[in-house]
Amino acid sequence: MYPAKLQQIVDLFSALPDPEKRETLITYADSAKKQGPREGETFELEDVRKDEECTDTVGVFLKVNPDRTTHFRVTLGPQVQTLTKAMTSILCKGFEGCTIEEVLDVPADFVPKIVGADLVRQRSQTVYYILTRMKGVATVWRNRDRAAQSA
Amino acid sequence: MSAYAHPEALVSTDWLAEHLNDPDLRIVESNEDVLLYSTGHIPGAVHIDWREDLQDQTVRDYISPEAFAALMAKNGITPETTVVFYGDKSNWWACYALWAFRLFGHDRVKILNGGRDKWVTEQRPLTREVPVFPPAAYPVPARRRDEEIRAFFDETLAHSQAHKPLIDVRSPGEFVGEVTHMPEYPQEGVLRGGHVPGAKSVPWKKAVNDDATFKGADELRAIYEAEAGLKPGDDVVAYCRIGERSSHTWFVLTYLLGYEKVRNYDGSWTEWGNRVRAPIERGA
Repeated sequence: MYPAKLQQIVDLFSALPDPEKRETLITYADSAKKQGPREGETFELEDVRKDEECTDTVGVFLKVNPDRTTHFRVTLGPQVQTLTKAMTSILCKGFEGCTIEEVLDVPADFVPKIVGADLVRQRSQTVYYILTRMKGVATVWRNRDRAAQSA
Repeated sequence: MSAYAHPEALVSTDWLAEHLNDPDLRIVESNEDVLLYSTGHIPGAVHIDWREDLQDQTVRDYISPEAFAALMAKNGITPETTVVFYGDKSNWWACYALWAFRLFGHDRVKILNGGRDKWVTEQRPLTREVPVFPPAAYPVPARRRDEEIRAFFDETLAHSQAHKPLIDVRSPGEFVGEVTHMPEYPQEGVLRGGHVPGAKSVPWKKAVNDDATFKGADELRAIYEAEAGLKPGDDVVAYCRIGERSSHTWFVLTYLLGYEKVRNYDGSWTEWGNRVRAPIERGA
């Protein structure tokens, strides 16, 4: 089982034949630009960098509410691949309302269920990249929180 | 300033914009980004995927002549159709697809100079409408012309041992053996780093300008002849990691500089770097 909103997305994709999966991925990719920070939003953590696993700069922004629920925003450089754009929208929406712990516990096996077997291939491994980056920021936040609580 | 050996192998964005509706022309988009075509493509362009369409899905090899004929028929391509290829990544996969077409003897091929990036940068029209063409009659090619433009492991090994020209088109880090994958790509399972003994390092990117167009003939000759030591008439094998970047260099040497004996070792480093007892050199 995945977090409720992510499960809804997985269920949606699972019911689609491959051509419609692709169309739906394109729709999600189209909305990737909307996942960036909006004016006035503030975040506990910001991680903006270009590293070797991705073709362009990716910024991950995390806000954590008092009840430990999370709110992610993500910015993408123009050279990022379409699948990565789609996964950005899917994860920002799928993680909405999840706690830090729920984000960290999400297994990566939902990715092939969404992307489809024929699109999971050597150079589509970067679809995991955004998930890794979001979990990385969540880990940093949790470690800082633990350190603050034990201080 | 000297000219390309086969300038007819390149078309400009201006030229293509004026020939979008030519009945004897088919535009083919081939990308690394598997969904990019679906986000918008040149009007009338069909999509040919390097892996799904051109490669056998079980054995690491290319499709059969029968499958190629079926692919052509599906896309409305006859033996008389001129195919213009374009794509992302400075035309890596466009050149790869062109090379694969040549394997089956389809010689009426051209590359859109600058590829998809230049077309998009110039704000030329894109559409999401997928064209449908009437099925075409395409006779099954009698054979695949592997021996002419493709090199296998044993041939590449013999080439290395005979000290014939080998061009490694990967990034410098891959060539010296510091990394086994190109920058910005995940590690993809090669056990050893380095290069084929005797290979010269000429990264593919040296052949293109910032806007993804090919450099001029004089600049290309300086890179491949003055710097890398190739000579017209040389028997050359080019390789990279899986054969796509070396397709780009194969196109440059064959069509732009006019070398008549250039082969692409498509097994490339994912075969050589994993092969038991394959000889490897490390360092510059």
